[in-house]
Amino acid sequence: MAKHILSCTVNGEAVEVLVQPYVTLLEALREDMGLTGPKEGCGTGDCGACTVHVDGRVVASCLMLAMQVRGRKVRTIEGLAGTGALHPLQDAFVRHGVPQCGFCIPGVLMAAAALLEENPRPSEQEIRYGIAGNLCRCTGYTAMVAAISEAAGTLASPRSAR
Amino acid sequence: MSTMKTTRDVKGVGVSIPRPDGPEKVTGRVQYVADMQPKGLLHAKLLRSPHAHAKIVSIDTSAAKALPGVRAVLTAKDIPHLKKKAPTRAHAVLAIDRVVFMGQPVAAVAADEPSIAEEALDLIKVEYQVLAASIDPLKAMLPGAPPVADAGTEADTSEALAHSAVAIAKSEAPAKAVNISQQARLQRGDPAKGFAESDHILEKTYRVPMVHQGYLEPHAVLAEWDRNGLLTLWASTQGSFNTRSEVADVLGIPENQIRVIPVECGGGFGGKIRALCEPITAVLAQVTKRPVRYVMTRREELQAGMPAPQVIIKLKTGVKRDGTLMALDAETVIDSGAYSGAVLAVSAVFLGSMYKWPSFDVRGFEVLTHKPSVAAYRAPVAPQTIFAIESQMEQIARDLDLDSVEFRMRHLIQEGDPMVNGQPWQNNGAKQVLSRIAEHPHWKTRKQWVTEGKNGKRRGVGLALGGWLGGLQPTGATVRLNPDGSLAVLTGQVDIAGTNISLAQIAASAYGVDTDLVRITTGDTDVAPMTGLSAGSKTIYTVGAAVLQAAEDARRQTFEIAAAELEASVHDLELVDGKVTVRGMPDKGITLATIGKKGNLYMSKTPPVLGKANPAFTQQAPGFAAQLARLEVDADTGEVTILDFVIVQDVGKAINPMGVEGQMQGGAVQSLGMALTEGLLFDDSGRLTNPSLLDYRKLTAADLPNLETIIVEVPAPAGPFGARGVGEPPIIPAPAAIANAIQNATGARLTELPMNPERIALALVNGKH
Amino acid sequence: MRRFDLVLPNSLEDCLKILAEHGGRAKLVAGGTDLLPQMKNGVLKPALVVDLSGIARVRQVQNGNGLRIGAAVTARALELSPALRGAYLAIAESAAMVGSLQVRNLATVGGNLCNAAPSADMAPPLLALEAQAVIAGPGGERRVPMADFFTGVRKTVVAPNELLVELIVPPPGAHSGGQYLRHTPRRELDIAVVGVASQLTMADGRCTKARIALASVAPTPVRATAAERSLEGQAVTPEAIERAATLAIEAAKPISDQRGSVEFRKHLVRVLTRRTLTTALQRANT
Repeated sequence: MAKHILSCTVNGEAVEVLVQPYVTLLEALREDMGLTGPKEGCGTGDCGACTVHVDGRVVASCLMLAMQVRGRKVRTIEGLAGTGALHPLQDAFVRHGVPQCGFCIPGVLMAAAALLEENPRPSEQEIRYGIAGNLCRCTGYTAMVAAISEAAGTLASPRSAR
Repeated sequence: MSTMKTTRDVKGVGVSIPRPDGPEKVTGRVQYVADMQPKGLLHAKLLRSPHAHAKIVSIDTSAAKALPGVRAVLTAKDIPHLKKKAPTRAHAVLAIDRVVFMGQPVAAVAADEPSIAEEALDLIKVEYQVLAASIDPLKAMLPGAPPVADAGTEADTSEALAHSAVAIAKSEAPAKAVNISQQARLQRGDPAKGFAESDHILEKTYRVPMVHQGYLEPHAVLAEWDRNGLLTLWASTQGSFNTRSEVADVLGIPENQIRVIPVECGGGFGGKIRALCEPITAVLAQVTKRPVRYVMTRREELQAGMPAPQVIIKLKTGVKRDGTLMALDAETVIDSGAYSGAVLAVSAVFLGSMYKWPSFDVRGFEVLTHKPSVAAYRAPVAPQTIFAIESQMEQIARDLDLDSVEFRMRHLIQEGDPMVNGQPWQNNGAKQVLSRIAEHPHWKTRKQWVTEGKNGKRRGVGLALGGWLGGLQPTGATVRLNPDGSLAVLTGQVDIAGTNISLAQIAASAYGVDTDLVRITTGDTDVAPMTGLSAGSKTIYTVGAAVLQAAEDARRQTFEIAAAELEASVHDLELVDGKVTVRGMPDKGITLATIGKKGNLYMSKTPPVLGKANPAFTQQAPGFAAQLARLEVDADTGEVTILDFVIVQDVGKAINPMGVEGQMQGGAVQSLGMALTEGLLFDDSGRLTNPSLLDYRKLTAADLPNLETIIVEVPAPAGPFGARGVGEPPIIPAPAAIANAIQNATGARLTELPMNPERIALALVNGKH
Repeated sequence: MRRFDLVLPNSLEDCLKILAEHGGRAKLVAGGTDLLPQMKNGVLKPALVVDLSGIARVRQVQNGNGLRIGAAVTARALELSPALRGAYLAIAESAAMVGSLQVRNLATVGGNLCNAAPSADMAPPLLALEAQAVIAGPGGERRVPMADFFTGVRKTVVAPNELLVELIVPPPGAHSGGQYLRHTPRRELDIAVVGVASQLTMADGRCTKARIALASVAPTPVRATAAERSLEGQAVTPEAIERAATLAIEAAKPISDQRGSVEFRKHLVRVLTRRTLTTALQRANT
């Protein structure tokens, strides 16, 4: 099997890597590009731990073949914060004590970030549905919802720093 | 030892300080085993049995070995030096001549890529002779059932001893019931007479299937041997010392030859205590002389993990019309899968010990079946047991038109009352949490609230009470004063619940500095003091106590050094803002940094401050929780919507309230899943029919409301600052609370979990209301 | 996954050439949400995978006289598409229920149909709206009505050297409304225990056309034709709806499996038919 050249943009940077044709986007990110933030919790699209953005939309990266993102833009948890400071969602998660074991967190944050980009003032129900594709076994979701709600307020307020 | 200590005026115990590892978790920087990529890494895969019970006739690995990129293919024949008869599942590294559950490892491959390893598995040819299997525990416990255990092995009760620490009386095994691996019987008084004098007798059978702990990170381990023959294991584990001991025993090598480094654990909940993948990964690493990593797939986790046991409880209660308790008869059958390991004693004890039954006969059996063997799951068998007894108590109250809370309160045990094994209940907050939940507006307004259902939905409110005895395990800790006046605390305790920040707060408060100046290091088995499992709701209770004592020891040493320097008595000294001064003379003092530096200077006569503690414990500290659910049922489809859920828990002292709340909510949601949607469903051949997260249904954020938490503090006499263990109590009452709310909403008393829409809808259709 | 070769055609023509040569040993991947799990479980072990994401033709939704939906349009795009309103709403509703957001941004309507699980959510509304499948092959394009598209569990009329390119949904006429409902134990990340799509077209207070399609109660999605006939030409009263809901059970031949028993599935057919007919009527009359 010949390797393919994958050219795409990852976290704002142009990337060119050789990948096996049979690796998933998740595997290519983790093994070939050193971005171990997205996790494999199930491999079948049923847990959300592998959530990344492709062209601004949340996807289960365990269900995409790496070559399917050729020419496209990928964003992982490593690219959520700008240079330096934490994204308001990350900051809110830390202050609310959200991460316990931490395994679901990168996926949840990517889902929450996409939610707020599309719907800056979500209701509690909209937040819950926005992260409904992300399973968490440690927290029971309540603190997550509170943190996302608070971050939405921060992002939506005119004086917020991005 | 110390009991209640006043907090010195520092930022310490009682403050909701966010965990310091938050930033690395929200940025994806924290490393789990699957993220580690050492040079030369090989990937392991296991070939697993497709049959629940079969003889292995032959295995041909030649084609697999010939596949380019494959570095090793092993079967039991290749590791003859390992134990022949497997007393525990961990010892059955690869099946020798027989497989006893579907999914049992039969061969192991290490290859350059996971894909190559998968293809290698396809090329291994195994010939099986399928044998009759014992799948249903009620059939398996009868004489003549297909036997599970190898003849001559003992039932392995190590798990039971680790978790329950409850003594139970043994009784004789029924003759020739080959699959009964543990049993217990506890009796008091004359139940037959009690039943004869009862006005209300209720007999129900409660069933809970096997459930998976559901941690999001599958089992993962990385193994590498160095040139001196020392094995290093990077493991996702709840107990590095336990892992080391088990692996040493399985491989037959000294413990000093193994170093277990606990890597960030992506959830354990009891499922990552016993060794599972470590031995075979270590063997592959030894044979290939390369680092080898094994990460279970989710399918493997569900098919061949170490789930919670199936529990079947036949419960018969006798009560007088006015609610006087007369007699209780119970039989618990716990399906432990192919190897013994259930915490039988817990169920037997809790059935009869929550309320004061004047007479009882409680029998418990652990039964082996040809299914994956079990391990602990957060308060092992307690949610299932409390589901039974709290459903039963509620139904009695309904039938006799008694108030749910008053009926329980009237009979609830208190400190000093005997448990069914004769041991006295320790100090606990059962009455306090029950009173507190009864005061909640959701409880007080329930009669009106249930009448206000809209769109044809039926509303119900239900509550339940449960508790955990609290684990004990010896441990150790050190506290070091750094040359800059900060503290370094060393334990071996794996932090799975955010306990490290709480330990830092305890050290800070006990020593006398702000928590910001304290750093906790979790050492591996080479460097840390012995420590026990991060399980059993005992980390704060035991390791917290060790850290408290070590910090006090360090404080004592610090004051002795200061006293000598200042030519004062230790009794006249105080520590404020990093400086030890003579009380009333703030200018006469010496900073912690100075003391720390003096202990590390060339030719110095001042010793380094090194506080140490290595306690063992005798007094358990039970933790109780009461939970309430308000829900709606769609009577046509059976769908349940939980609108409100309240958790009241006695934590003794909330060292870190934010962390405690996280435990309360997380634990409750786990057993809400057990209540409504979860179950490992095996068919008659022992095959798991739902080996994916699509069909093994854990609750999503859209299925749940905000969970309200109310912390109650009834100090534990021997707990650090009065703290009790927190992790397990919140998982216990939820299934019963939900069952009681569904009964309130629909009239249907469901006794089999999960109470999924099908069971509810058909109960209503078939007129069980 | 086991190893395989991957080809990335840039056009429908290229794709058909590849399928002509390799069709028997190849699998097509669009969203991958059904294919990859099956490959990871070892159910499918193709030596060659053909990625459809470079083919433009299959990715558009057009609303003219009726709808043309490209086979590779994602569930999420259908969920949000302004073209799928009014009489076509049931298609958007079914798309909105697939998996989770992370899955809907990948899953395609073509994949959902070609994978042909009995529980495929997007099949019932397309059946109820009498869509046609446009299938490209070596001899050109052919159209197959949805009613003839499915031939068994995970089996369709699409041959190994063919590709589903688009769906054509004829305009249902004025005063037509429909709904798709399914029952699942969880609110997301789930799969239909039973799914029902009802589509009613009304004129002068009477039903001129009724279509009821069921998922997860037979090897393929099926139409409840006896129930449909009981409504056509009638006023759609609550009694008529109840009668149709009961008749719909006749079309259901469910099995008992770990997702649901025969008894529960039949019960749900009645409940969901009743509910979707009630809503379809409201929508038809607005």
